[in-house]
Amino acid sequence: MTVLVAEARKIPAFLRRDLLLMLSYRAAFVGDLLAIAVQAMTFGFIAKLVEPSALPSYNGVQVGYFEFVMVGVVIATVSGLLLQKVSMAIRQEQMIGTLESLLVTPTHPTTVQAGSAAFDLLFVPVRMAVLLLVVALTLGLDFQADGILPSIVLLGCFVPFVWGLGLIAAGVVVTFRRGAGVIGVAMAMLGLASGAFFPLGLLPQWVQAIAEANPVAIAIEGTRGALIGGAGWSDVGTGVLILVPLSAVAVLAGVVAFRAALAREYRNGTLGLY
Amino acid sequence: MNGSNTGPGSTHPATLATVDGEARPAHGALPAIEVDELRRSFGAVEALRGVSLEVRGGDIHAVLGPNGAGKTTLMRILCGLVDPSAGSAYVMDRRTGGPPSTRKSIGLVPSGDRSFYLRLSGFDNLVFFGRINGLRHRAARVRAAEVLEAVSLTDAGRRPVSTYSHGMQKRLAFGRALLHDPAVLLVDEATHDLDPAAAAQVRALTTERAQSGTAVLWATQRIEELAGFAERVTVLDRGVVCFEGTVAALAAEGGGDRHVVGLGPRTTTDLAAMSAALSGIGKIQPASDAGHVLLTLAPGVSLGAALSALTAAGAEVTSCRDERPPIERAFLAVTAARAA
Repeated sequence: MTVLVAEARKIPAFLRRDLLLMLSYRAAFVGDLLAIAVQAMTFGFIAKLVEPSALPSYNGVQVGYFEFVMVGVVIATVSGLLLQKVSMAIRQEQMIGTLESLLVTPTHPTTVQAGSAAFDLLFVPVRMAVLLLVVALTLGLDFQADGILPSIVLLGCFVPFVWGLGLIAAGVVVTFRRGAGVIGVAMAMLGLASGAFFPLGLLPQWVQAIAEANPVAIAIEGTRGALIGGAGWSDVGTGVLILVPLSAVAVLAGVVAFRAALAREYRNGTLGLY
Repeated sequence: MNGSNTGPGSTHPATLATVDGEARPAHGALPAIEVDELRRSFGAVEALRGVSLEVRGGDIHAVLGPNGAGKTTLMRILCGLVDPSAGSAYVMDRRTGGPPSTRKSIGLVPSGDRSFYLRLSGFDNLVFFGRINGLRHRAARVRAAEVLEAVSLTDAGRRPVSTYSHGMQKRLAFGRALLHDPAVLLVDEATHDLDPAAAAQVRALTTERAQSGTAVLWATQRIEELAGFAERVTVLDRGVVCFEGTVAALAAEGGGDRHVVGLGPRTTTDLAAMSAALSGIGKIQPASDAGHVLLTLAPGVSLGAALSALTAAGAEVTSCRDERPPIERAFLAVTAARAA
């Protein structure tokens, strides 16, 4: 327990480091936000072409395409960014040459991984939530205020799932030094079967069956139910019950995969090689 | 010592149980670093072939060897970055490669210069590394400031590391290794690409640490820096120990103090007469350069005395220079002996 507390106390150091690093890349930070804002505007125009009758209703509320797609875009983007950041966190340290300096300290490699991903795990969802809020206020998204807290809880259960996937991907990346392509394909598949951009009902029947168990789809649909339909806690309860065990399994599998990959690197003596 | 029945992180089999990560032999007691028959292969390449050495607290122990000798592999095993293929390595009584707590006593100065976050200041880098070495935030800030001062980087401390010269980055790496006041300092080729002044400063800092009781393992290929700096030396060549002993003993392998003496046209004597004149104080041999002889001084004899004897015997001495330093000759001798 003492060891766990001691390791947990190191996480704020990683957060501070990554905040300082982000602030040193101000242009990239602003550019990133602008790109997402432009994407939001694009969907705002596309929304004018889509008949609301082609979309599902949530708790009896007929959704407009802009509200529908923005929830999907935000959650799909958060998932993609987190998966990429978590899986590449250690690789990034390897590339810039700091990984060995971190691992010669009395810090557990899992703490190094978690610490290196912690900032993004916190910052990316917050940034996207703020963006959603700004778009809602400026472009007129019609969301229910009482759906915000249930949505946050649902997404809080979903983020560890992405972290677990990221850890598995990190193990692959540490082992093969490549993996961005595979991660991209995996995210595209998850995105396609998530209903982020179009209703799941448009998918072939067998893909729909898969999509119903897709945690990304569960997170998106649950959030739409809460934010658009104003269903409060009733719509997110089922999602939470499904996501909690899935996230637990994903994190466990991720930790095992990542530790196995690191152990292999220690045995081979190739940890510092990039 | 046979550590084959002990796992990583376990205490040294020859000692009583120690508190996790807290064991620290008193100065001059058990070795701070103990390596026994260490082997490591990378595929078909044997980087280390049965290396053994010991370093005690307060000692600077050099590991001398050319590129590819296995110095860095040895360092990486000691700090737990690479598992050995066979043999054992203990640092402060704890087998390397164990849980993170086994690394509490180790400070590493790596050979490369890509080990910092270049966009952060030197101070912020040190605060970060201090914290993941277990210091609380306030303590890490205080310690970072102290260390910056110790390595003469206080003025540059708030600048991004990307603006530092190579020597400054090396000093910062040295400072980082001292953040948690380690009992063992592993220094991997810290001076190989530094200018003489910067190299001297890093050696001075190392000497200071050793004087405070830290055990230092200093990997280098710079032979000339050993004299007056390290107490003991292990010479490695292609993973094999060619020599282990004091630096003075290594120098003795080189055959004493030798000088190449230039003779002018007014020399009226020959080698035999000069040899006779040097009886008891040195010996003279032909040198590879025409018009030169090789003068080897007997222990304790000054160069001036030998040159005076040569002049008195009829030699016109026009120049005199050191042959290779004795440690360099010794290094070449011991590695050549192994090759033969």
